[in-house]
Parts: sequence; structure tokens; C-alpha cells
Amino acid sequence: MHLKDFFAEVRAGRLTGIRCGRCGALAIPPKEFCEQCQQREWQPVPLGGAGTVVSFTVIRVAPRGRSAEVPYAVAVVRLEEGVSLLGRVVDVPFDALKAGLPVRFRPVEIGGQTMIGFGPA
Amino acid sequence: MRRVAVIGVGVTKFGKHDRTSAELFAQAAAEAILDAGIAPSAIQALYFGNVTGGETERQLHMAPLAATLLGLPTVPTTRFENACATSHVAFRHAVMEIASGVSDVVLVGGAERVLNVPTESATEFFAYCSDASIEQPAGLTFPGVFALIARAHMDKYGTTEEQMAHVAVKNHRHGTLNPKAQFQKEISLETVLKSAYVADPLKLYDCCPFTDGGAALVLASEDVARKHRRRIWVLGSHAATDTMFVHEKRDLSRVTATERAAQGAYRQAGKTPADVNVVELHDCFTIAEIVATEGLGFFEPGTGGLAAEKGWTSLGGRLPVNPSGGLKAKGHPIGATGAAQIAEIVTQLRGEAGPRQVDGASTGLTHTLGGNTATVLVSLFGRD
Repeated sequence: MHLKDFFAEVRAGRLTGIRCGRCGALAIPPKEFCEQCQQREWQPVPLGGAGTVVSFTVIRVAPRGRSAEVPYAVAVVRLEEGVSLLGRVVDVPFDALKAGLPVRFRPVEIGGQTMIGFGPA
Repeated sequence: MRRVAVIGVGVTKFGKHDRTSAELFAQAAAEAILDAGIAPSAIQALYFGNVTGGETERQLHMAPLAATLLGLPTVPTTRFENACATSHVAFRHAVMEIASGVSDVVLVGGAERVLNVPTESATEFFAYCSDASIEQPAGLTFPGVFALIARAHMDKYGTTEEQMAHVAVKNHRHGTLNPKAQFQKEISLETVLKSAYVADPLKLYDCCPFTDGGAALVLASEDVARKHRRRIWVLGSHAATDTMFVHEKRDLSRVTATERAAQGAYRQAGKTPADVNVVELHDCFTIAEIVATEGLGFFEPGTGGLAAEKGWTSLGGRLPVNPSGGLKAKGHPIGATGAAQIAEIVTQLRGEAGPRQVDGASTGLTHTLGGNTATVLVSLFGRD
């Protein structure tokens, strides 16, 4: 599995990680060797998409081409399976954002580009 | 391995320039060569750092260009790019070229020019230093990366926005003592706290500016350095890397690469944090200084904010941090920063820092962080 396949799944609304066939470690996105046991025996594994916010920010100064999107929230989310992922937070009021807040993965498309997103659980 | 010393330093004024990156580096390099008192022809190699020249100036292959503009068109050159740690990485490799016996005198440094493009373009180019698959599409910016770190540090330790503001106030105060600093004006705690949010909880005055500037160092082997009275020895230089993905960091309230780079540098130098008298560290954002003072072993985890609030890191305090004004007030031309930090520590250890001199400083440390905390360099320096 490569990044292209990972994002094809994201666009279809599915979050896919890889699980090490030797030690069971989970990872996103795909990589060659397992950091934990140095093996190369990955298997794709579907992830449920439910998780909780680890840390978050509200971006108010955006890179070129993204100014129309501000303000927007970005968070690191720890998924139930134990692996984390960074994405755009949508449909959650900024003042409700806090560590531990339950959220759920969803693909977010802005300007024809698909990104990892999280909405209310 | 042979001992290595810094025998010459040169830094341009930091701020806005109408000269190119290669010109800025060449100017700093000429000053470093004159400071060393060597013939330009003594330089055997150039290790050069620049990050965004391809985007801001449509100029790649900048290392031989810099050598050409310096008047040394036949010196072997290499260009380095490791985000904001670029010229500290170049420095470590230059040290290794001399330590290994390949060369006796090496010129190293870097330059950056970004004030010739709009802020949103500079923000975009800097964001290229984060991952392009997940992080850039999500709209993560560099203030955003450090905002995630700040939030985690606040949640875990109770660090406050006011404590972060104290870092900005202190570094701006130090900047008033540095004629090369981009900002040489004091700011109040209130000014910082009332400034607009850039990426919550970081506000405008928690962020370092975009800056043009160049910095250069002349390094020499022990045999050569012995002839130079103002030499400062490189006691240790260590590099550490961490995962590029912010979501893979094990604990967002720490920068583990800083901790590993520091441990390696202390071990090489045979020093401990208690031996260090003066520090130039990577305060790209106020929270970055707080986390770095903890990771470098100066303060217990969670107490870096208190150290800033109590003035322990001010000139005249327990351990002066960023007497130059730091990235926050001196400015942050990302390709030049690592070399500029080393130039400041060399100046301090020589006792030539004027009104910002840390009295009697004999051991100094520099810390440079690249990108989303993936690259960190720590080096230690000492007098004879």
C-alpha cells in the first residue's frame, strides 16, 4: 500500500492503516520498515475512524491560496485503535475544542483537494 | 578526530534587504574571513545553507554562486537544506570535514531572503518544510505546528499565555542591545497578550518575523587555530532526527530530538547543563524557547514557563538565553540562523558582546530546530 492508495481510500470515506505482521504495531501513513521490530510485513487494516482530540489549534493566518478558508481548526486525533492522525476539524465550534473531545474521521474536500478531516463523533 | 575551532565570524544586519541571498552570504563571509585575519585563498571548502531560494529568487545551485560572488569561484561547495536548522547542519558537516583531516580551513554558513515576497507566499514556502501528503493539505502552518505543541504543554503543565509572552518581552529587550537585530525596540507584556491570534494559542508577538540576512563562520583545524588568539573551540556537535509527521510525535509537549541532540553534544564535550553559561536557542515561537530550555536540561519538564516568568533566562539571570535577541527579535533568516547563533556564542565567549555580554562566559551552547521538530542540532563551544 502506498500514499496514493491511502488517499484513494480516504476519498472513498475509508481510513486505512497498516499493521505489522510481526509485532502488531499500527501505522499511518504506509512506510517500508516497522520502527518497532524492523520487519517489513505490513498488512492493510481498516480503521473505524473514531478517536479523541490530543491537541488542536485554530489557524487564522493561512498559506497562499488558503486565505478564504480561515479561520479553520486542525487537530491531532488519537484513534480508538491506538494510532494518531492529523486533520482538519469541521462542524465543531471552536470553543468546544479541547483535548479528549470525541471526533470521527471524514474526508473533507476543498477546492478539489481531499484532506483528512474529523467531524463530531 | 582532530579538534576544530571557530576563528572568524560574520553576520549581516538582519531585516529587509534588496540584495540576493547569495550576495548576503558573500558579504557575511567576507566579514568572517577578515575577522579571522586569513587570506581568502586559505578557504578549502564552502558548506552553504539556503532553504527557499528556488521559490523566492528562482535561484538554485546557490553554493557555487555564493563562492563566485565572494571571489572564490574554484572552492568546492555543497548546499544544505534542513528547514530552519539548515546552516547548523552545514556547520556540523564542516566540523567533520576538518576533524577527519580532509581540510584545514572551511567556510560555512547560510543566507535567506523572503521579504521580497508577500507574507502569504512566505508562509506557503515555509510550510513546504512540513509533510506534503497530510499536513500541507490540512492547512497546517508552522505557527500551527507550535500551537499544537503549546496547547499540549499548557494542558499537561499549566503553562500560560502570559508565561509565553514573557519570552517575547525578554528577547525583545535583549534585541535592543544588538545593533544587527531586526527589532531593537522593547515591547510590553500587554502588547504581546493583546496581539491577534495567528494560530491559537499563539499570537502575532509569540512568533518570530520573516527576515533577510546572512551569516558565516571560518572553521580551522587545531594547528591553524593555534595561530589565532580569538579562537573558540567546538567542544561537541550532535544531530538528532524525529518523525516528520506531527501525528507520530509520542508526546507533543516535548521535542525528543532536542533531548537526544543535547545528550549527544554534552557527552562529546564532557559537559553537563550546569556547565553552560550562555545559550542561543531556537525561539521561532515563544513556546519553542520554553520547551527547549527543558529539553536541553536547564529546567525540569514543565518549568520552562516559570523560568521565563521569573527572569531566570534574562541577561543578568541564572542562565541568559538568547542574549542576541533570539530569532524573535534578532530575526530568523532560516538558512542563516544556525550560523548566526554560533556567531553570537563565539562573540560572547570572546568577551566581545558589548552591552549584551554575559560576564565571564566560558562555555556556550547553540540549539537549532528544523521544521516540524524533525531536525535538531546542538553544539557546545568553549574558550581555551
